[in-house]
Amino acid sequence: MKKKGVVKTEQTGAVVSRVFVLLLMFGVAAFGALAWKLFDIQVSRHGELQAKAIEQQTRESVVRASRGTIYDINGKALAVSATAETVYIDPYMLKLNGEDAFAIATRLSELLGVERGSILTKFENTKQRGLPIKRKIEGEEAAAVRQYIVDGKLTSVYLAEDSKRYYPQSSLASSVIGFVGTDNYGLEGLEAKYDGYLTGTDGRVVRLKNVAGTDMLFSDYENYFDAENGCDITLTIDSTIQYYLEKHLKQAVADFNARAGAAAIAMDPKTGAILGMVSLGNYDLNAPFDVSAEVMESLAGLEGSEYSDALAAARQLQWRNKAISDTYEPGSVFKIMTLAMALEEGLVNESSTFFCGGQLDGVPGRTGAPYHCWKTAGHGQQTLTEAVQNSCNVAFINIGLRVGAEAFYKYVEAFGFFNKTGVDLSGESASIWWTPEVFKEEDNKTQLASASFGQTFNITPIQLITAVSAVINGGNMYTPHIVKTVTDANGGIVMNAEPSPVRQVVSEKTSETVREILENVVSHGTGGNAYVEGYRVGGKTGTTTDTVKEANEGVREYKVSFCGAAPMDDPRLVVLVLLDNPPPIEETGIYVSGGNMAAPVVGRIMSEALPYLGVVPHYTEEEAGQLNVSVPRLEGKSEQEAAALLDKTGLAYRIVGDGASVTDQLPAPNASVSPGTKVIIYLGGQRPDIEDIIVPSLMGLSYSDAKRALENAGLFIRSVGVPAHVSGAAVSVQSVQAGNKAPPGAVIEVTLIDKSIQGQY
Amino acid sequence: MKYADARAAERRRGAVLAETEEFASIEKRGRMDLPFLLLVLILLSIGVVMVLSASYASAYYEYGNPTRYFTRQLAFAVLGAAGMILVARFTNMTFVRRFSMMALMISIGLLVLVLFVGSVRNGARRWFDIEITTIQPSEIAKMGIILAFSVMMCKYGDALRKLKKSTMRRFIWAFVPFALVLGIVVILLALEPHKSAALIIVAIAAVVMFAGGLDIRLCFAAIVVALIAAVIIVGMAESSYATIVETGGGDYAFRRIVFWLHPEAEPTRGGYQVLQSLYAIGSGGLTGLGLGQSRQKYLYLPEEHNDYIFAIVCEELGYIGALLILALFALLIIRGFWIAMHARGRFEALVATGITGMLAIQVFLNISVVTNLLPCTGISLPFFSYGGSALLMQLAEMGIILAISRDMPITKAG
Repeated sequence: MKKKGVVKTEQTGAVVSRVFVLLLMFGVAAFGALAWKLFDIQVSRHGELQAKAIEQQTRESVVRASRGTIYDINGKALAVSATAETVYIDPYMLKLNGEDAFAIATRLSELLGVERGSILTKFENTKQRGLPIKRKIEGEEAAAVRQYIVDGKLTSVYLAEDSKRYYPQSSLASSVIGFVGTDNYGLEGLEAKYDGYLTGTDGRVVRLKNVAGTDMLFSDYENYFDAENGCDITLTIDSTIQYYLEKHLKQAVADFNARAGAAAIAMDPKTGAILGMVSLGNYDLNAPFDVSAEVMESLAGLEGSEYSDALAAARQLQWRNKAISDTYEPGSVFKIMTLAMALEEGLVNESSTFFCGGQLDGVPGRTGAPYHCWKTAGHGQQTLTEAVQNSCNVAFINIGLRVGAEAFYKYVEAFGFFNKTGVDLSGESASIWWTPEVFKEEDNKTQLASASFGQTFNITPIQLITAVSAVINGGNMYTPHIVKTVTDANGGIVMNAEPSPVRQVVSEKTSETVREILENVVSHGTGGNAYVEGYRVGGKTGTTTDTVKEANEGVREYKVSFCGAAPMDDPRLVVLVLLDNPPPIEETGIYVSGGNMAAPVVGRIMSEALPYLGVVPHYTEEEAGQLNVSVPRLEGKSEQEAAALLDKTGLAYRIVGDGASVTDQLPAPNASVSPGTKVIIYLGGQRPDIEDIIVPSLMGLSYSDAKRALENAGLFIRSVGVPAHVSGAAVSVQSVQAGNKAPPGAVIEVTLIDKSIQGQY
Repeated sequence: MKYADARAAERRRGAVLAETEEFASIEKRGRMDLPFLLLVLILLSIGVVMVLSASYASAYYEYGNPTRYFTRQLAFAVLGAAGMILVARFTNMTFVRRFSMMALMISIGLLVLVLFVGSVRNGARRWFDIEITTIQPSEIAKMGIILAFSVMMCKYGDALRKLKKSTMRRFIWAFVPFALVLGIVVILLALEPHKSAALIIVAIAAVVMFAGGLDIRLCFAAIVVALIAAVIIVGMAESSYATIVETGGGDYAFRRIVFWLHPEAEPTRGGYQVLQSLYAIGSGGLTGLGLGQSRQKYLYLPEEHNDYIFAIVCEELGYIGALLILALFALLIIRGFWIAMHARGRFEALVATGITGMLAIQVFLNISVVTNLLPCTGISLPFFSYGGSALLMQLAEMGIILAISRDMPITKAG
C-alpha cells in the first residue's frame, strides 16, 4: 500500500498506519466473517431452509379424482359421480381479519339451512383453517354461497371441490350396488367391494402463494400431479331384467306378506353371469340411511339408545343382500341335485319307478316317527318324472339312499355347496353342512335321507342357483359373477370376466334328462304356476320350515321358493325366487307353498324377461287360442266394419247408441285383453261420463267368475299365469287391489295359479 | 502553562497548514479516483435494480403500482450521482475544514428541531417531512460528527496520543470536547429515540479518533469494555428468556437479543423477521432463484426493499451473487481507506476515513443483521436500501471522498 513519493508528516504517518488497520478490519476481516456466515446459510443450510421456505410459500390444492361409473350390461349408468362443493369455514382467518362471525353464521344458516348455533360453535376454534359446514352442495346453492363470499370479500368462508354420487336408477339393484359415505368411500355392496378400482388417485396442484394465501404474481412455479380417475365398472346386471325382478318380487312380498323379506336372482346359466339380483327391502341409494315409513312408525315409541339401536338394525336389514348373505334350508328345490347325481351315477333312469305310501320306514338310525311325504295319502306308484313332478319325498329318500352317503357328499362338494361361490360381492355367507364323519355314519342314514329332499343343511340362494345352472347347462360349474369388465379412465380394459367352467359335475346327457323332467314339473306338476304360454319353462318348487328353529322354539317359519329356467331345450335364463316367512294359511287363506307363491312370480318374470331377451315364443294351438289380444281402433268405422274387425281379432261386442259410425269404444284401442272380451262400441254421441269404478275382489275366483265380476262392474280382464282352461286355475293376484278405483273400461290383469295341488312341496 | 503553550502551537501550525492548503487548492487539482467512482456507480446500479426486484410485490399489493418504489429510487439515484460529481468537482476541503464546526452546530440544531417538528413513525420522532421525501437529521449528524471530530483530532490529536501521568491533565482537557459533543448528540438521538443511529455515530466517532491517533491502550480498553458490556447485556437478555417467551412481553432490546439467539421460539412474532430472512437467503443456495424470482418478497419478508433487501439479493442471486456484491463493497471500502491513506493532509485523511468507516460499519451491521450474525437493528444497506434522502446523503459523502482523492499528491501516479 505504501507508495513512493508520498509526503508524510509525523502525524499523517500515524494516520496511515491506523487507517491501514481499519482497512484490514473493515475491508477484509468483516467481509470474511460475512462471507463465512453467508456460506453457512446459503450452502450448508440451503436444503433445510429452502424446505421451510417452500412449505410456507406453497399452497397445495387437491384435484379430486372422479369416481368411476357403474354401468349395467347395456351401458346404462347405475352409479355416477358429479362435481359438488363443500362449504368450509376458516375460523383462523376470521380472527385474523376480524370478520363478523355472527353475521356470517346467520347468512350461511339462511343459505344452507344449517343451524346458526353450530356454525358459531365451529367459529370458536380459532386455530382451525377448515371446518366443513355443509357437504356436497350444488347448483344455485353453491352459487349463492360463492356470491356471498365474493360480495363480502370473505376470507373465513370458502368452497372446496367435492364429488357427489348419484344413482340415476334410484333404488334399482340397491342391495347389489351399495353406496358411498360422505368421504366418497364405498360403504356397502359393489361400491365397497370394488372401491379400490372405483376410487382412483387424487391429484395435486402445488402453487406459490403470498402471505395472504392468494397466488403469487407472475409465478411460473406450478407443479401438477395429475389425478387418476377411477375405473368404470360394467356389470352383468341388465337393468330391464333387474326391474322385472324387483317389480314382481315387490308385488309378491305385498301379496303374500313375506314378513322376513324376499330375494331373487336371475342368472345366465351358461356363464354364471348375474343378470339381476334383488334383496328386499330395497332402499333408495340416494338416501341409504332413510328407512321406510313403516319402520319409522314401528320405532315411534322408542327413545334414546333403544331408538338408535333399532334404527341401526333396521338399516342393516335393508342393506343386507339376502340373496348371498342369508342361508336357508332349500327344501325340494334341492331335489334337482339328488336327481342329477342319481342319473349321473346311473342309479335311476326315466323308466325307474317308485312307490309312495305316504310314509317311509326303515331308514337306518331313524327313531320315532317314520318319514312322511308331504302328501300323507301317498303318491302311489310313480315314474321318476312323476316323482319329481309330485316332489315326492319318499321317492327322493329312496333315490338318496341309492346314491349313498359317500357319493352324495362328493356331489354336494362338486356342486360347490361346501364353499362360498366366490361371487364378486361382499357379504357372501358360508353354508352349514354335516361334517363328513356324521354324514357318512354307517348305521345312521337320517342325514342322507333328509338331505335328499333338501333339509337339515343351510345354503345361500346364490349357491343354489349356481348349482342349478350347472345341472341344466350341460353339467358345467361356473363361478357366479356380477362384474363384466373394469375399464380405466382411458378406456383400457383392466379386468374382463371371461367365464370358464370350473369343472363338469354331470354329463350333458344327465343335464338333458333333468331339463326334460323339470319342464314336466311346470307343464304337468307342482310347478304349474310358473307356466308361461309359448315358452318351455322348467323348474322346481321348494317349501321348508326352519327345522332347527321349529325344534327349538316351536315356531314354524316358512320359506317358499322356486327355481325356474327357460327355454328348457337351450336354457337362457334361470331365476330363483325366495319368499321368507309368509303367514300360514289360517291368516291369509292362501296355501303356503313354493308352487303357490314363488312359482307364479318366476312365471311372471319369465313372461317379461324371455321376450326381452329375444327368446321367440312357440305357441301350441291350444295356447294360441288363449292369447291375450289387442283391441283394434274402431273410431269412424261403421257398425259392420267394426263387427268384422272384432270378430277377426277374436273379440265380442255390445252396441250403445244408434248412430251411423263408431264414435268411441271401451276398452281403448291397443289395450291387451283376454280373447272373447265384450268390447263396448258407442255409435253416435259421446260416451257417457261415468265415475271411476271400485274394483271388486277377485282373489280365489275362477277365471270365468272373475271375468263376469269385472264385466258387471264395467271393467275388462286379462290373465297371465296358468292357462284359464286349467281346472284348478284361480286368481291369486289382481293388478288393481280390491277396493281401489279404476277408470271405466280399464283392463285388470289377474294372475291365475293352479290351486288344485295343495301341500308342502 | 504547558497546555496553553501547546494550544498556541497547535493554532500556529494549523494556520500554516491552512495557508499551504489554500495555495495548493489554487493549483490545478487532479482527477477524481476512477476505481472508487466506478465501484460506487456499479453498486448504485445493482442497488437500484434490486430495489425494483425486491419492491414490486409490496408496491403492487400496497399501491397497485409495482414500480412505485423503483421509479422514485431511480430518480434519487440519478440525482444523487449528479450531486456526487458536483460535490467531487467543487468541494474545497479547506473551506470544508473551516465549515466543520458550523456543520456540527447545524447538525445539533436539527437534532433539537426534529424533537419538536419531526414527524412520528413507529413511535419515534426522527424525520423531517418535506413533501417530496423525508430527511433524517441523524444522517446529517453523522457527517457533522465526522467533520467535527476530524478537525478536533487535528487540533487535539497530539494531546491524546499518549496517556501518561505527566500529561494526564492535558489529555483529559483534550478529551472533554469529544465526550461533550458525542454526549450531546447521543442524548438527542436517544430522545427521538434512534438507538441504531446513536450506535453508528459512536462507532464512527471511535473510528475517527482511532485513526487520528488516540492512545492505542485506550482503544483496546474501550473495545474490552464494549465487549464486556455486550456479554453482560446478552447474559441479562438470556436470563429473561423464559419470561419473554411465556408472556410475549419483556424489554424491547432484550427481546431482540433473545430472538436473535432463538428465532424459532416465536416463529410468527419475535423471530418472524429473522426466520423469514434466513428462509430467503437459504433458499437462494449457491446460484439463486434468478433475478426477479424471489418468493419471500411476496409479503413474507418485512422491509424487503429497505433494511432486508440483501436477503432478497441472496435469494435471487445466490451465494455467488452475494459474494460478488460483498467483494464490490470490500473493494470500495479498501479504496476509500486507500484514498484516506494517501490524502493530502491529516484532516482530509480523517474525513475520508470517517466516511469510509461509516460506510463499512453500515454495510457490516446491515448484512450481519440480515444474516442473523447480530441482533436486529434498523440499519439500511448503502446504495441498496430504498430511501431517497439517505441515498442522496450517501452519494454526497462519496463525492467528498472523490474530492479528497483529487487532492492526493500522488494522483498522477494513481
